[in-house]
Amino acid sequence: MRRRAYGVAVVVAAVLASAGCSSKYADGSGSSGTATAGNRTVEPVTGCGTSSWTDPADLSPTRTPARCKPLTPAPQPLPKTRKVTIATGTLSAEYVAPLEVAVAKGEFKKEGLDVTLKVLPTPDALPLLAKGDIDAMWAAPEAAVMNGVKGGFDIKWVAGNFSPDPESKSGLWVKLKKGEAAADVRMAGRRMGTMIGKGSVIAYPMQKALATHGGGLDKIQYQQLGSADVLTALQNGGVDSAWLLDPVWRKVDDNPQYAFLGGQPQGEPLGGMLYGPSLLNDDVDAGVALLRAYIRTVNTYFADDYKKDPSFVAYLAKLLKTDEAVLKSTPSLTMDWEIRAGTTTRLQAAYKAAGVSKGAALPESRTVNRSLYEEAVGHQP
Amino acid sequence: MTTIAPGREESVLVRRPGPHELHPVRTHRRRRALELSLAVAVPLALVLWWQLAATQGWIDPRVYPAPSTIFSDGWTRAAAGDLWPDVWATTKRVLGGYAIGTATGYALGLLMGSLSLVRAALEPLLDALYVVPKLALLPVFLNMFGLGEGPQIALVAATVFFFVWISTMSAVLAIPSGHRDAGRVFGATPWQMFRHVLLPASLPAVLVGARIAAGVAVLVIVASEQIAATNGLGHLIFDSRALFENDVMFVGIVCVAVLGVVFSELVRVAGRLLTPWAPRDRGRGQS
Repeated sequence: MRRRAYGVAVVVAAVLASAGCSSKYADGSGSSGTATAGNRTVEPVTGCGTSSWTDPADLSPTRTPARCKPLTPAPQPLPKTRKVTIATGTLSAEYVAPLEVAVAKGEFKKEGLDVTLKVLPTPDALPLLAKGDIDAMWAAPEAAVMNGVKGGFDIKWVAGNFSPDPESKSGLWVKLKKGEAAADVRMAGRRMGTMIGKGSVIAYPMQKALATHGGGLDKIQYQQLGSADVLTALQNGGVDSAWLLDPVWRKVDDNPQYAFLGGQPQGEPLGGMLYGPSLLNDDVDAGVALLRAYIRTVNTYFADDYKKDPSFVAYLAKLLKTDEAVLKSTPSLTMDWEIRAGTTTRLQAAYKAAGVSKGAALPESRTVNRSLYEEAVGHQP
Repeated sequence: MTTIAPGREESVLVRRPGPHELHPVRTHRRRRALELSLAVAVPLALVLWWQLAATQGWIDPRVYPAPSTIFSDGWTRAAAGDLWPDVWATTKRVLGGYAIGTATGYALGLLMGSLSLVRAALEPLLDALYVVPKLALLPVFLNMFGLGEGPQIALVAATVFFFVWISTMSAVLAIPSGHRDAGRVFGATPWQMFRHVLLPASLPAVLVGARIAAGVAVLVIVASEQIAATNGLGHLIFDSRALFENDVMFVGIVCVAVLGVVFSELVRVAGRLLTPWAPRDRGRGQS
């Protein structure tokens, strides 16, 4: 009996002693931030002039997004084909179209990249990205990503995706009470239905739209619902406001009972490409090549109003496996590979207001790396 | 101990008293101590191994937080009062749904077990509904009851109902006809027949169904809270997973496990008190 007790004591002592030892996963601050591509030579790129870069500090909603000429920047094939896996939450959403077109048109192949798009939700993809099992994520710097970075994951937002068209009304809609005008709506205490979680980047435009109407994420009742239920709940009075996505808002657009209070900010992408250590540190050439192919795809196929070409819309609908009429019903997205200054700080403030984030906000140096897309278009800092 | 005595033409079976017979109290005490030690030591060893693996870096503690981290986070949340609203929300839904499901399941099981025409009318329909995954009914309940507590309670009730209904009906059908005949011979009224024949004969089997349903009720509510609730342990687990707060997620998982065990044990203890005549169920890990 005594021997047994000693055995248990030894095991407990070993566990306690080991607690003091360092782990290979020890909590750290990830990589130091801007060092990734710090020593790389950036050369001018044909077809990408001054219009290929805009100052990140320019937060104007009317800013013209950066563009190179079509088919540029030209491919610079890697010496050896490299397999790249990109996780994305969906393959049927319009904002994934540039990646899918790049795969279909062989833009990644021209760079010597063998790209696979894998459908994985962000929380599942995050540890895989940090471990290097996948190379990139087509997602957004959500609260989960920020929490992962705080926990020591070396993940950075390296390119933007889109901002909405000025005509888009994807955003906060409210059912007006009798005699109420949109300007008079007070959101405090109201119930808002949404399929988007509080930790999504949409928390930022939500907070902004709510704040302009006397509300805030901490002042409303937040009701998360399935995609099919959001509009139904708004129509039958289950909720008195809702965050409606493309193309659902079209169903209430012409109805005077409903008012649009605000949506995603223009000129400020809230998502895009996130890299893990494999493309940030281990193989920066492949990281730049991937963004070069993406940027070339945007310049070639998505430079402006891409939906004015019916044959391209038909092609996109087939590629995204979605209804052509649904795709046509909303305006083109403004594809934008750049990242605005301070976006992650504003996002983190919204996460805090939504009660899904604690502690000090991460500085931009730990969450964003613009050097890869800048190198792809030949912008010298 | 049993041996065969050698060297004889006719073998004789000799049974020597074993420790059970020689020292019954001491042997029983030792056996209980061994069982108790195993019940505590195996989970403890696993937790210690987990702790060791996390601190040594054999597993990534950012994905699988160490038990000490989970305990510390759970303690902090409980002390700050952040955990209890979720625990209470889930408990309320489980208790409400369980009460409704048990009552309706028992009543219908009794009716269908007693009246063959009612059984003929309802059994095919209920059999068909039984195999429908209950979570698939959540959208229907959302439409019926709106966004409040209604759909959650209805889902638990629907789940529990089937377990209790089936066990009640089969228990009533299994009552020997002699018991009923005896009741009739003594001129028992329907109430007396229920009170003195059907209830005591069926209750032990019903409580087995109720105990299984207790575990399944917790299982279902966690899945349901993920989809259509703004609080509760299921919401806590899946919300923290979406936010990559794995320590909080594990706190939720531990709370669900504790809630399930406590609820199931309460039902078992209640069953023992309600059916002292039934064979004694001595609970987990007890011989």
